[in-house]
Amino acid sequence: MVSVSADPVRDAAARFVARMDAEDWSAADEAALQSWLDEDPLRQGLLLQMQAQWLALTPAAAEVQPPVEAEEQVETAASSGWGRRGVLAGIAASAALAFVGVRWNRNASAYATRLGEIRRLPLSDGSVMTMNSGSELTVSMADQAREVELTQGEAWFEVAKDAKRPFVVAAGKVRVRAVGTAFSVRRRETGVEVLVTEGVVETWADGDAGLRMRLEAGDRAMLSAHAVIDYETGMSSSVDRALAWRGGMIDLNGRTLYDAADEFNRYNQRQIIIADPRIAREEFDGLFRVNDPEGFAEAVKTSLGVALDTSNPAIIRLH
Amino acid sequence: MSHGQENGNSISAMEGVTPGEAGAGEASNQLARRRRIAVWVAREIVPHEARVRRWLARSRLSPEDIDEVMQEAYCRIAMLPSVDHIDRPLAYMFSTARNLLLRRLKRQQVVVLEAVSEIETWRDEDTPSPEDQTASRMSYERVLEIIGRLPERCRRVVELRKIEGWSQKEIAAHLGMTEKAVEKQVWTGVRAIREAWTQAEALSEHRMLGTERKEARSW
Repeated sequence: MVSVSADPVRDAAARFVARMDAEDWSAADEAALQSWLDEDPLRQGLLLQMQAQWLALTPAAAEVQPPVEAEEQVETAASSGWGRRGVLAGIAASAALAFVGVRWNRNASAYATRLGEIRRLPLSDGSVMTMNSGSELTVSMADQAREVELTQGEAWFEVAKDAKRPFVVAAGKVRVRAVGTAFSVRRRETGVEVLVTEGVVETWADGDAGLRMRLEAGDRAMLSAHAVIDYETGMSSSVDRALAWRGGMIDLNGRTLYDAADEFNRYNQRQIIIADPRIAREEFDGLFRVNDPEGFAEAVKTSLGVALDTSNPAIIRLH
Repeated sequence: MSHGQENGNSISAMEGVTPGEAGAGEASNQLARRRRIAVWVAREIVPHEARVRRWLARSRLSPEDIDEVMQEAYCRIAMLPSVDHIDRPLAYMFSTARNLLLRRLKRQQVVVLEAVSEIETWRDEDTPSPEDQTASRMSYERVLEIIGRLPERCRRVVELRKIEGWSQKEIAAHLGMTEKAVEKQVWTGVRAIREAWTQAEALSEHRMLGTERKEARSW
């Protein structure tokens, strides 16, 4: 006999794994599992680990898929990676891409923010956009679409629900589409960063429907015209922190000093320079006002014991 | 999940998930998603879990903390809508675990600098060493051994399900049991197999760490 010590949480997880292993998973089973999972976020991980351990080393079991919707079968039957989505996404994308291309820039209004300026703007459809420092964009409201072209910087959009008029943000070749959602889009040197604070958005690249992705609240993705560079999910708290600028704050949760300086330099004429590459990689925590690079530099000086030179009014030097 | 929030939007309509269908359809979608991810983890990560744990152990975290980091990392994966975009699963697991570990080290305020720099070196061991391969094989044998030692009825069920790939329904008909009874045996099997993996991992972790600890002490 194998001795298995008692552990109620693990036993419950095992029971769900056995239940899922049978053929008749019902809505009631799903509801019971959800409410069990909701009690402790770590249970998601335990459940996955145990289900995978049960499935591991089972060539036969790994191939048998439970009956699923037609849509899902297409997905599993196709090849792996992004190509797999292409089949479905291509159809959906061609429709969306067509009108985005044609209607761009008709009746467009242009907006810009100066360095250090954060601006909250209501739009005619009831949506609200918040522009970050040094950003430029144009908004066009047509009968069938709401389109924003972000040419520089970052903005956060709280989109009013209107299923008939999709809300699409274009940043270079990257497209982000929402229907009643809040999300931000930021153009960076390395690509376009999308953070979702509410609901669901769809992203793709103009001319490359294979890059279509669906992001949910708490997801962050870094996209370029040709690739999904980085993707994180279930990060609600860090998404909120990354958008602290909406309240005029910078939240450095374990960001490197290099990133932090970059962040302050987005908002201020007086630029922070880190002269020593070794301290640039140090990580730093704290909540600061966007217009207080001096306060930040002082905090770094005290906590990391580095030298601070403020003799030049145009720069703050840490070394 | 957020399917409920997107009632009436055109994205969901396009994918055929209309609000009215939530229920059985939604449940089987969730089941299918969960299963696809679990199959992927079973194939790409579980056989190498000991490697990830061993590497985490270098940061001098306690085994309990390592358990938690691993579970948190699995949580991150469990919440992904899909794993199709991950090209190098093990590297993804390593980097997820590393981020969680760094966060934890920082919270504990015992940032052992050597530990952090060790953590950064995981790329170097991207290809499995002979020891890793031995460890994976040992895990496999250990699991088979555990199945072999299960009580007769449970062993039959687990073998038919896991090794022969029969469905629970087919097993029930074949062995003249109710489906509920088969499910119950599977439940016991799931727990036994988890135990087997845990022991196999602890064993290989211990073996490998034994050598590394000695080296560390000498310097």
